[in-house]
Amino acid sequence: MSLFGANTGFGSGGTGVFGTTTTDSHNPMKDVEVTSPPDDSISCLAFSPPTMPGNFLIGGSWANDVRCWEVQDNGQTVPKAQQMHTGPVLDVCWSDDGSKVFTASCDKTAKMWDLNSNQTIQIAQHEGPIRTIHWIKAPNYSCVMTGSWDKTLKFWDTRSPNPMMSLQMPERCFCADVVYPMAVVATAERGLIVYQLENQPSEFRRIESPLKHQHRCVAIFKDKQSKPTGFALGSIEGRVAIHYINPPNPAKDNFTFKCHRSNGTNTATPQDIYAVNAISFHPVHGTLATVGSDGRFSFWDKDARTKLKTSEQLDQPITACCFNNNGNIFAYASSYDWSKVQSQYTSGSVISGKSPSPAAVVH
Amino acid sequence: MTVCNFFLQGRCRYGEKCWNEHPRDERGGDYRGTQQPSRGGYGNRVWINPSQRTGGDYVQPSSFSRDGDNDWSRGGGGADVKSSDFSFSGQNRFSALASHSHSDKDVQSPTDDVDTIQKDMEIWQTSGQWPFSCYSVLPGKLSGFVEVSPEELRLEYYTGRASGDLQAYMNSVQQLADQWRSRVQELRTMSSSTRISVISELNDPSSQTSTHEFGSSASGFGTTSSSSSSSSGFGAGGLFWIQSEILGNGTNYISDFFLIYPHASGFGSGAFAQPPSGFSAPAASAASFSFAGPAADNKSSAAAASSSVSAFSFKPPPGGSSGPADGGGFGQSSTRAADTGLFSAHSDLTAEELKEFTAKRFTLGQIPLKPPPADLLVV
Repeated sequence: MSLFGANTGFGSGGTGVFGTTTTDSHNPMKDVEVTSPPDDSISCLAFSPPTMPGNFLIGGSWANDVRCWEVQDNGQTVPKAQQMHTGPVLDVCWSDDGSKVFTASCDKTAKMWDLNSNQTIQIAQHEGPIRTIHWIKAPNYSCVMTGSWDKTLKFWDTRSPNPMMSLQMPERCFCADVVYPMAVVATAERGLIVYQLENQPSEFRRIESPLKHQHRCVAIFKDKQSKPTGFALGSIEGRVAIHYINPPNPAKDNFTFKCHRSNGTNTATPQDIYAVNAISFHPVHGTLATVGSDGRFSFWDKDARTKLKTSEQLDQPITACCFNNNGNIFAYASSYDWSKVQSQYTSGSVISGKSPSPAAVVH
Repeated sequence: MTVCNFFLQGRCRYGEKCWNEHPRDERGGDYRGTQQPSRGGYGNRVWINPSQRTGGDYVQPSSFSRDGDNDWSRGGGGADVKSSDFSFSGQNRFSALASHSHSDKDVQSPTDDVDTIQKDMEIWQTSGQWPFSCYSVLPGKLSGFVEVSPEELRLEYYTGRASGDLQAYMNSVQQLADQWRSRVQELRTMSSSTRISVISELNDPSSQTSTHEFGSSASGFGTTSSSSSSSSGFGAGGLFWIQSEILGNGTNYISDFFLIYPHASGFGSGAFAQPPSGFSAPAASAASFSFAGPAADNKSSAAAASSSVSAFSFKPPPGGSSGPADGGGFGQSSTRAADTGLFSAHSDLTAEELKEFTAKRFTLGQIPLKPPPADLLVV
């Protein structure tokens, strides 16, 4: 909160009013800063689905809270509501009808937050902190999928205290993504498992990881017919792998690219390599956004294999990002991600900017 | 038919009409075309010669010129591609390797892997990237690295802060950091013992999986002895638990190193259980197990342990109490040790292992992991 006071008049709604002479590294892109951000690092962001009118942004943080803002068309943000867990919140997601929000926390529980009544109930319990939570809407069932550091993936009907199904994983779950009928989970020790969700969730394939280091984030992309066809996997080593599930030619179609590294042209001095903290795909154009520990975000076109845009460097790492349902708004959270292993001033901020359309961004 | 050199470099003008052979990439079954150095050859082909593409859904190279970003311009790797797409950016590090590995696409030779490891370690040390991550040289995984995500570490900090005891957190982080640093340094400097253990690890992935299972079942052991045991320690609930194990269990500490290589487990426990039979105190014998040069770091002596199993036939037994001349004494101690399972019986060894032991020299890559039979020892 004190971040607003410390800033030289940058509050919400200020878009380039104060000229470009002062390089403000807190919000160098002059995007709209969200009011009342959480007091600690933001771990996850999620925009409301298209079934709901308006844009609502949910953010979970290490201050044990989950906050909801309404993002209006003029860019202004209005804080709406807040709920608490007893441990840091690691992941949030919306139900498909936009009436409920699911939150997963280090206190080993997951809660369902009914926005209309502003009540929460616990819907899941694990033996370890829950790292990922996703809502699955299948024709014959709906459930919540939770991935945890206790090496299990559990599926919950929100009405019952026992899981519908529990799948064992080889290692702790680090990140996951769901686009029906496909789910991808990346675990510790470079584990990568794809699940198919038709009829009931089952393991589809275990994939040998294309990356050499720890997995950090994963996001599924769709093909032209809006069917999930592959995923992007980010690691701590400033690299993202694009992997298709059934490509015509795996050696050519699958590739990796380096990102979030310093020292682009100068190969003489050692490069600084930053973790890719989150990946998000634009719902309409299929371009992907990556955010990293270096405090930058970048947009890429994976089919043309080009980088579209990189932002200026923010003063803190960017820990989460999210596109809204029609792709007009891109929200990113600037807060410490523990990449330097020690505690730092962790107050975070959430910034939402106009999502650049590909035509405008190509240089 | 001769293989077309231009095709290998990605710039054959004739494409399908070429009279020379263009080797197809069928061997790339599990070759995801990611960071393999040889990818440079095929990657080039795609972007230089769109006429060779049957798919046609790749954008023509001319459209890349709009991307003036510097990050990509140096992705030239092994070819003068102006477009600098990102399949190359994985090539930069390996541009030196790419030129000579064109002819050896299906299998990375172990020496290439070792070079890759060394380069990667150097980059890891200087880049400031997250240290607590596993590492692999595709497709094999290397042991000795603890995998902890930033969130897990942060949670430990927060719980420590809440309980008022941050010192345990700091100690554990320090320990992890030290372990990482020593392992990275060891792999970077790649002494011959490390090289052998790394090569055997890459060639024999089953030993890796056994390491992992060992770690999960032997979760009572401290962090530095086994990477996977510490990962299970984290999963089970915290750094504090690991901390107490390390402090509380000094004697088990050394023997744990030898449990990493299960075949040598008899070796390890035998060595330490029988001081009178000529094996000196654990610390000294651990040091003397090193194959070449001083092994100041415990990890490297662990790595050396597997190779020193074979080294046993080259050197006199540690402790030096029975010198080469003392055949009788040696025979005695060895039979006593054999009773404790230090050596393998002939029946325990496969034919290849027996051949290795009876041969004059070991062949690299086939050094047996089991201890030799006592009677084959050449002292």
